[in-house]
Amino acid sequence: MSRYFIRRVLQAIPLLIGITIIIFVMLQMTPGGPLAVGENPAGRGRVTEEDLQRLRNQYGLNDPMYVQYLNWLGDLAQGDLGTSFNTGLPVLRMIGERLPTTLLVMGLAFALTLMLSIPIGILAAVRRYSFFDYFTTSFSFLGIAIPSFWFAIMLIYLFSFQLGWLPSVGLTDPRADHEGFSGLWDRVTHLIMPVSVLALTSTANVTRYVRAAMLDVISQDYVRTARAKGLREQMVIWVHALKNAAIPIVTVLALELPDLFIGAVIVESVFAIAGMGRLFIESANLRDYPVLMGVLTIAAALVIFFNLLADLLYGALDPRVRY
Amino acid sequence: MNDSAGRQAKPRSESSEQRRREKIQRLSGELRTEQRSLWSDAWHHFMRHRLALASLVALVIMSISIIVGPAVIPYDADQIDFTTKSQPPSLAHPLGTDELGRDQLIRILEGGRISLAVALAAVSVAMTLGVLIGAVAGYAGGLVDNVLMRLVDVFYSMPGLFVLILLVTIIGPGFLTIVVALGILRWMGTARLVRASFLSLKEKEFVESARAVGAGRTRIIFRHILPNALSPIIVAATLGIAGAILTESALSFLGLGFQPPQATWGRMLQEAQRSILNEGHWWRGVFPGLMIFITVIAVNFIGDGLRDAVDPRRTQG
Repeated sequence: MSRYFIRRVLQAIPLLIGITIIIFVMLQMTPGGPLAVGENPAGRGRVTEEDLQRLRNQYGLNDPMYVQYLNWLGDLAQGDLGTSFNTGLPVLRMIGERLPTTLLVMGLAFALTLMLSIPIGILAAVRRYSFFDYFTTSFSFLGIAIPSFWFAIMLIYLFSFQLGWLPSVGLTDPRADHEGFSGLWDRVTHLIMPVSVLALTSTANVTRYVRAAMLDVISQDYVRTARAKGLREQMVIWVHALKNAAIPIVTVLALELPDLFIGAVIVESVFAIAGMGRLFIESANLRDYPVLMGVLTIAAALVIFFNLLADLLYGALDPRVRY
Repeated sequence: MNDSAGRQAKPRSESSEQRRREKIQRLSGELRTEQRSLWSDAWHHFMRHRLALASLVALVIMSISIIVGPAVIPYDADQIDFTTKSQPPSLAHPLGTDELGRDQLIRILEGGRISLAVALAAVSVAMTLGVLIGAVAGYAGGLVDNVLMRLVDVFYSMPGLFVLILLVTIIGPGFLTIVVALGILRWMGTARLVRASFLSLKEKEFVESARAVGAGRTRIIFRHILPNALSPIIVAATLGIAGAILTESALSFLGLGFQPPQATWGRMLQEAQRSILNEGHWWRGVFPGLMIFITVIAVNFIGDGLRDAVDPRRTQG
């Protein structure tokens, strides 16, 4: 197991390097570099050719592409993602300010998904073909087809405009008292809608897998044996069956994480939350290459990490998997 | 290869294989019997296909409206009229108007044209790439297969929406950019599927006999093996359309897709955001989103129906 673990982790490194190469080449090949404003005819006069040349030299933009990439990779190995063209701040610090917000929204949405989808999926499987089962199955079909931004807008209409219960912008109210309980309550009310929106699709998705995994397990011989022994139904379902259904469920849950991270971009946009997604869109509009490279690298690293987690958990949970 | 096994282990929907097995067990009285099970099972099947059929009808109606609508509706998608601004649904404007007085119905039909065209084109790009790469990998095997499958791994681990945003903002939004960008981010699933089919099919006797009579490699791949691997590709393509519509709307919603005055469903929702929050103009948000939702769910149902129809024993696709 530990050898497999090490091998998988080592495989993830060339994968990440491969992704950064593709993104780097994409960025280089696209028209309109970071100095496009100066090269633009409208910007002439104010920016001289010498200025542009000096800037290109300063940022190393005259070097061949592979030299630029290797420089970037070398810096990355030392924990340096470069400096933003726009703000002049270290990219790592800019990401450091935004990442916790995204991870908070994402983590809460993941927790909500767990708390809802597992009990609901199990109950639907146990009471197969009941009203509850049909209701759950229909809900999951609807849930995966609802565009999250539409759901968000409808929630805002209902809870912010009509009822006035929940705030629809940001994560805190700047006018609110940030001390003690009222500060906490302010944060909670700001988080309810973004987290629910982000959790909707993953809850709908995971519920389907939990139901399918439980149905698979319930018809197995050992479940019949457990019942034949005279165990209580609760015991059979929640201990014997769930333990075996856990393997595919855990994998699906881990694979849900990259989608949640990417979905957070949209949620941040609707609710005006200053997270990674907003940082990325702002930087793309400003052609701030170091920030773009940095955000993409962190995002790719997270996606690879979550996929790796799914793989390793699968291996760890299923004793039949041998390496 | 374990990662591919992990991802493919996700059952897309409840497998018919498993349903059959359960039915047999139930009939043989091994489990506790439920008396209505047989009927509910039949009903379940019937519902599935009826939903697929209804979805198909809905999409056909939608397509006809998109084509006929502009000829029947007396407004233009970009026609600004301040005398009719921000009106709720009425007889003259069944879906209301926006703050520039533009008719929402015609704008929704116009947006549907774009959304469907983008989705179909993007799926064609993705399918072409996926089939070619999967076919070459599966047929050639060895080093070629290994390299191509690592490429699949790399693309699978890319944060899709981020790369899409990057390409569209930097190259500039346009039909071609959006279609190609969507296409190159969604071919991997098909490539894996096609590769798996090719790996097993290339060992079959009919391929051997084709080779024996002197058929060339290209001919064997496209004329002999590909037709036999087609049904999962069709299902994947159908479900891919739903994903492409959702992604394109999300991009437009972020303000990065098609630019104004071009109406798209995502764009209409983005423009509606402020007037819903400040003035409560619900009609501006409800209808465009409802269109995305109906289209996506209809395409999903058709994909599911197709899956059952083309190969009832397939457990996933």
